[in-house]
Amino acid sequence: MAFMRKQAVVEAIDLNTITPEDAEKRITAGVKKYATSEANYAKADGNTPYLGHIVGMGIESSNLADITMSIERQFLTKMTNKVPVDGAAGEFKFAAGELGKLRILDGQDALAATPGLSVKMLMDLGHMPKNDAYLAKVVSFAYVMACGDGWKMADALKKMAAKAGALQGGERAEALANVRTLAAQAKEYDALLADAAKLAAAKQKTYANDKTAYDALGSELAVVLDKIKGQSAGGDAAALAKLRTEEAEIRTRLKMSAAKLRVSHEVAEAAGRRRPVEDAKVAEVRKAQQEAVALAESLS
Amino acid sequence: MALSPEDLSSLRRQRFVSRAVAVPLSVFVSAAARLRYGYRLPREIARLRAEIWRKLDAHDGPVIWAANHLTLIDSFLVYWAVFPFSRVLEDRRIPWSTPEYTNYYRLGGRLKSAFIRALLYCCRCIPFLRGGEDAASEAWRQNAFDKCVWLLREGGAVFVYPEAGRSRSGWLEKRRPKDFLGRMALEVPEAKFLCVYLRSDSQLGTTVRPPEGSLLRFACDLIDGARPGDSARDVTQRLFDRLAELQDQWWKDCPMPKNCAGDDVVDLKSPLLRENFSDGLDDADPEWLERHLTPKELSALRARPAEGFFAGFWRLFCAKEACHKALARAGLVVPHGAFRDLQVDLFARKAVHVATGLQLDLRFTDDDADKLHCVAVLRGGFIGDDETPGDVLWNVAEVPPGASPGAFAREMALDFVASCNDEIGSPVKLALSEENGLPAVLWRGRARDWSLSLSHSGRYAACSLLVS
Repeated sequence: MAFMRKQAVVEAIDLNTITPEDAEKRITAGVKKYATSEANYAKADGNTPYLGHIVGMGIESSNLADITMSIERQFLTKMTNKVPVDGAAGEFKFAAGELGKLRILDGQDALAATPGLSVKMLMDLGHMPKNDAYLAKVVSFAYVMACGDGWKMADALKKMAAKAGALQGGERAEALANVRTLAAQAKEYDALLADAAKLAAAKQKTYANDKTAYDALGSELAVVLDKIKGQSAGGDAAALAKLRTEEAEIRTRLKMSAAKLRVSHEVAEAAGRRRPVEDAKVAEVRKAQQEAVALAESLS
Repeated sequence: MALSPEDLSSLRRQRFVSRAVAVPLSVFVSAAARLRYGYRLPREIARLRAEIWRKLDAHDGPVIWAANHLTLIDSFLVYWAVFPFSRVLEDRRIPWSTPEYTNYYRLGGRLKSAFIRALLYCCRCIPFLRGGEDAASEAWRQNAFDKCVWLLREGGAVFVYPEAGRSRSGWLEKRRPKDFLGRMALEVPEAKFLCVYLRSDSQLGTTVRPPEGSLLRFACDLIDGARPGDSARDVTQRLFDRLAELQDQWWKDCPMPKNCAGDDVVDLKSPLLRENFSDGLDDADPEWLERHLTPKELSALRARPAEGFFAGFWRLFCAKEACHKALARAGLVVPHGAFRDLQVDLFARKAVHVATGLQLDLRFTDDDADKLHCVAVLRGGFIGDDETPGDVLWNVAEVPPGASPGAFAREMALDFVASCNDEIGSPVKLALSEENGLPAVLWRGRARDWSLSLSHSGRYAACSLLVS
């Protein structure tokens, strides 16, 4: 079967023979055709988000899987030996083996929101050696997301302030009411960004919600196991089979819930550990927010 | 069908036993709720109870308790919330419950199962069997129904969930009434409905029990049952309408957004969308498909005629993206690229968030050779169907050449919102803000719970909002 993608010939390279910077460059080049924001792509670095139009490359969500598959096509790895995961039927992970095709499993790319984070993912999964000097330059997923929200807020406020400034009379008054609200939100968010502990506490709430959902599933599994125990004595094979299916479904749901919990845990942790690279990104977005607030306040 | 003498004597015996243990049982329920699970009732609980009991005291007849249903212990929680300890000796008022047999009567080993059965017996439970179309199951259901009717005719109270099961979306939909409570009310015309909407502030969907430490808020009312000339549907609809009003009242004080909907548009002519498909668009790279679709979706897609393969895939994708936004509005963020966390059934027009089991309704508003546009609703309103327009408004437009699709989508959304409401009149009175990464409409300086969703793909931009 001929897939149109095959028109592009990519020579895969062993991840252990290149530097993280080279890997990053190849990853960035690999997503060029999906980037709809040409200006942002042209100046993209390892910390430019794949998604989003304000500071991101403008890749659409319909091409998210293509980013991961583009990375898979470009690299070879020695982590090719499939080994079963303890206590999880049907699941496997990769261990060291012969050099072969890179495979990124379901959920492993959940935090790879920038080329730098994609390289970090490859390091975390053991496909290439950890390089602390490189990782020190990579903005964490938590801050990519937090700064992204800040950019969106600043952009919305700037545009709204410009629009309101051009209005007169009653319309201007109504528009300014909205501008004031936007400015208050931006100030509040600015204060949140300014304090890593506050930001971490906010992200901790998401983690707590995910933990509650995970625990709720645990209770659901306990009920089904109880039902199986109760049904086992009854000898109704059909009912028992149905319950076993239900048990398998809940275990799958638990697995997904655990994956999500890992993401929110990492985000909550990383939000509290701000490094110089994140300080710089936060400073940029805070500056944009403060400028937008100043513009808004100059109108009233 | 009349109840047998054995049934009647069994019911009388159960009533006698439950009456004898009513006081310790009520203490047990209250202690378990407060001490074991840390549940709290609202500060104004005394006032809420006084108001509803004033109405109950004015009605000397039977009462059908009807409540929303999200957790396996709702009956206990509703009883705890509504029934003051000082009334425990008013035997006639203590409701009989109808738990699902397979959910409660065969739990755990012999000892645990015996304990739960004894507890349910003392709590006046009449086991109900929801599943099964065979004669024995039908007879079971009829017998349970007759027992409820008999108890009501005796002037008692019966607790039945009008939705007939836990709501998988976490939302009681008044446009999907079930008639059995209407039928029950017609059998006992003097019965009134005690409508209760109770849930934890952090309850998203169905679970075994609410999260520990939750505040359980509720709204309730006593309304007429059957009126002269009513059909079962009339009675049921009135009940569902009142429950829906109580639901709205409950959501007014809830910190979570009520309206949770999302949309997505797909430009089917976008070249990048074809990249992973075969030249004839009748198949696609299996690895790429597996990254997006669950095994069930994949087999449904493969079962379609080959010419519908390409559009079929993007229908599934479009639905997933719309659901992703609706769930994010409820605070449930599906991680990037985790497409398989959502399972779509295009035939049933439903999607499920696999990890939580939350169910969403889907509707394709645009589905032609050029584009797809899908809206998804988790809660807050009705998605609409061929007969009823529903509570979702949407717009799909072509992005002008040279315009930024994202910026155009935002401007178009404001124009559209303003055009939908005479009071707004002009889009300049509106603004878009960001709340947790999601767009929100500002009007008169206040963010509105309209669940605005924006999307764009290739030549198209779209938006949707849910106003209920």
